[in-house]
Amino acid sequence: MTRVEPGPWRYFASRVVTAAFIVVGAITLLFVLTQLVRGNPAEVLLGPRATAEAVAEFARRMGLDLPVHERLLQFFGQVIRGDFGVDIISGRPILDMVLEVMPFTLALTFSAIALAFLIGVPLGCYAATHPNGVGDRIAAVLSVGLISMPSFVVSIYLLLVFSIWLQWLPVLGAGGSGGILDQLTRLVLPTSALAIGWIGYVARLTRSSMVETLAEPYIRTSRAYGLAESKIIYKYALKNACLPTLAVLGLGTGRLFGEAVFAEVIFARPGLGTLIYTGISTRNYPVVQAGVFAIVLLFAMANLATDMAYAWVDPRIRAGLRGTSAGRR
Amino acid sequence: MTLKLDRRQVLRSAAAGAAAAFLSPAGALARDRLVIRLDRDFQNLDPAYRIGPLEANILRCVTRRLVKFKPGVVEFENDAAASIKQVDDKLIEFTLKEGMRFQGGYGELTADDVKFSFERFNQPGPGGKKSTYAKDWDALDGVEVTGKYSGRLVLKRPAPALWLIAIGDGSGCIVSRKAFDALGEKTAVQLHGAGPYALAEWVPNQRILLRADPNFVGPKPYFQEIVLRPIQEGKTAQLAFRSGEIDFTSLEPTEAAEMARDPSAAIIKKDSINYVWIGINVEKKPYDDIRVRQAIQKAIDVDQVILGAYNGTVTRARSLMAPGLLGHWADAPVVKRDLPGAKKLLADAGLPNGFKAKITVLNRPTFQAAAQIAQANLAEIGVDLAIEVLDTGTYFSSGKGDVGKNLELSLQRFGGKLDPGFQTQWFTGEQVGEWNWQRWRNDEFDRLDRIGQSTVDTKAREAAYIRMQQLMADSVAYIWLTHEVNVFAGKTWLRPSILPNGDDWQYEHFLEA
Repeated sequence: MTRVEPGPWRYFASRVVTAAFIVVGAITLLFVLTQLVRGNPAEVLLGPRATAEAVAEFARRMGLDLPVHERLLQFFGQVIRGDFGVDIISGRPILDMVLEVMPFTLALTFSAIALAFLIGVPLGCYAATHPNGVGDRIAAVLSVGLISMPSFVVSIYLLLVFSIWLQWLPVLGAGGSGGILDQLTRLVLPTSALAIGWIGYVARLTRSSMVETLAEPYIRTSRAYGLAESKIIYKYALKNACLPTLAVLGLGTGRLFGEAVFAEVIFARPGLGTLIYTGISTRNYPVVQAGVFAIVLLFAMANLATDMAYAWVDPRIRAGLRGTSAGRR
Repeated sequence: MTLKLDRRQVLRSAAAGAAAAFLSPAGALARDRLVIRLDRDFQNLDPAYRIGPLEANILRCVTRRLVKFKPGVVEFENDAAASIKQVDDKLIEFTLKEGMRFQGGYGELTADDVKFSFERFNQPGPGGKKSTYAKDWDALDGVEVTGKYSGRLVLKRPAPALWLIAIGDGSGCIVSRKAFDALGEKTAVQLHGAGPYALAEWVPNQRILLRADPNFVGPKPYFQEIVLRPIQEGKTAQLAFRSGEIDFTSLEPTEAAEMARDPSAAIIKKDSINYVWIGINVEKKPYDDIRVRQAIQKAIDVDQVILGAYNGTVTRARSLMAPGLLGHWADAPVVKRDLPGAKKLLADAGLPNGFKAKITVLNRPTFQAAAQIAQANLAEIGVDLAIEVLDTGTYFSSGKGDVGKNLELSLQRFGGKLDPGFQTQWFTGEQVGEWNWQRWRNDEFDRLDRIGQSTVDTKAREAAYIRMQQLMADSVAYIWLTHEVNVFAGKTWLRPSILPNGDDWQYEHFLEA
């Protein structure tokens, strides 16, 4: 029977605890911030025709009459029960509202990060293996250009070119349920808009990391043994050079959950971003809190997954963990 | 007699038939599906708890009212009512058409459903929830059911605005008592009316599908299906229109010129009855001195605001009531720009070197541009105007309660309704700390407002509303900018139906041109 090393498990547990602290901290901060924002949510939601009694009743149903710490405890109680209550505007369970849009945000975010990885890494590799050549310079200009382009500007131009002039891709929405091809077609432009900055970033990062790795003694030794250059680059160098990129992509996935807001709004896609955006503009705090909680949770999970993947990919970390646990034994 | 046809004749006849079918208008393929952009998704389709015109537009085509507006005009025609008449100032009698059935199998529409639909506005709903639109039916004492298809609306007091604001509008939508009993709070998103369209599908934040109800008793709507697409971003809506994904959208006036270049677009402009103005807090120093307010009024170049902020697409407002409304003050004075006069007034008020001021505006580009022009105008008389730009939630609380005491100038925009009483109600003394951000109080104004709200005599109402606007002008607390214009882009083949306020879209009357 294989014996399970306590080191990696302890590492995993410590990362989970950290992730839990991140979630609790972010939600607490959100509650404090909502206190600082001016504007009675009940009045904003009900509009000018609402009577004073209706506003008061609405505020009570939203829990706005409670002190902030009670609301916070109430919210965490809801989280533990897995029930965010009912949206007082539409009468729909808030959890349902979050869960029905979450797949759209996940699809958008992961497809964007995948696109950034698939284009950025080869671009960075090429630049690193042709240092100071024409290709490297073009890649550098291209990468910096992509990083510095605001995503919302890119979105509008993508729409103009591919939807209006060429009429290849649709402008709106996420597609009908069941029509997978339709859904994929409608994912192309928002994914590209979201990924474009990250492509440049990943390419630059991969290049610098790869240049460093290619100067390592083990690469020189591999060359001295006469191994094929492609094998040296893609089998030995890239694996190590990808480690910083992997860490950044993990963080990037978390950030993209937040950045997806603009893509969802501009491309009129459903998603957590649209849900939160609408919630903020109408001061529908229960929906905003649930939406932000979902994003923070996804962010924490992405970080956790990155930490674990990092430990799995990097033998030095694995060895360090075993060493720590062995030392304790 | 035998008819002999050879192969050539058959082919020739078939070709001619096909060509005729293709070319003749009767044979042309009629569109049966229309896609309309909404700037947000609906939030609540219960008439008593609806959020705004967006929900009301859906409600009006899915449900019936006793009376409804004719296409595009403020004239009533019977809807669910076979007959309806105002017996006296406090009594309205109606008889319903027979055989109107609610969608979803909730039975026939009866007078009891009318009673349920109207009285619930003034009764606590599920969980003690009060209706957002309770004021619309404030004058209703109750609905007496006198037969399966007949009843009487008994009023507490004369209510001339009741027809325009309640009976014929969103608050007059008749819902099924049985459906509400069965569905409870789900009625917020599950609507079963007896109107020309049924709510066939709702995919949150993606689409709302309205499908013509085959069981509807009455003239069938032209389009078999209407798809409503929530698109928040105006630019996205424009691109979707140009790509052919939507057929109709509202536009900002400043977007009209760009959209007009699209050959598939017909731009529709309708003068609005909304009102945009710069309000001055008359309680706050130094604005409590009327000479300071007059100086500001004389310094701000409203025509320049119209030109700069609205690209000259709207006309200048002179008072509260838009042309065409009862109580429109046709002779309202136009204040001309007078910088020497403004400087003299400031000097007389003890502020010869001007002062620091602040204007609070909503974060819409048009309003920000208007504020910047006012800023430049006021700088010419030494007033250093700071612009405070706020998001919706924060902005709409900035004039409320004690916070409102510190408000100085504010650029405001209110949506108008077809009865003048709706417009004046926000400026009364009791609205100070609520929606009267100018904090201007006038007993005569309040008295006339009560008269306007409860007098049936049209002439007396008109006189009251004109006098009220004169009092507002005398206060110098209001610098009227515009009544706005509603701009829409529709495909050239579409003939939309919109009421003069620009917000009320009559989906059941949208046609192919």
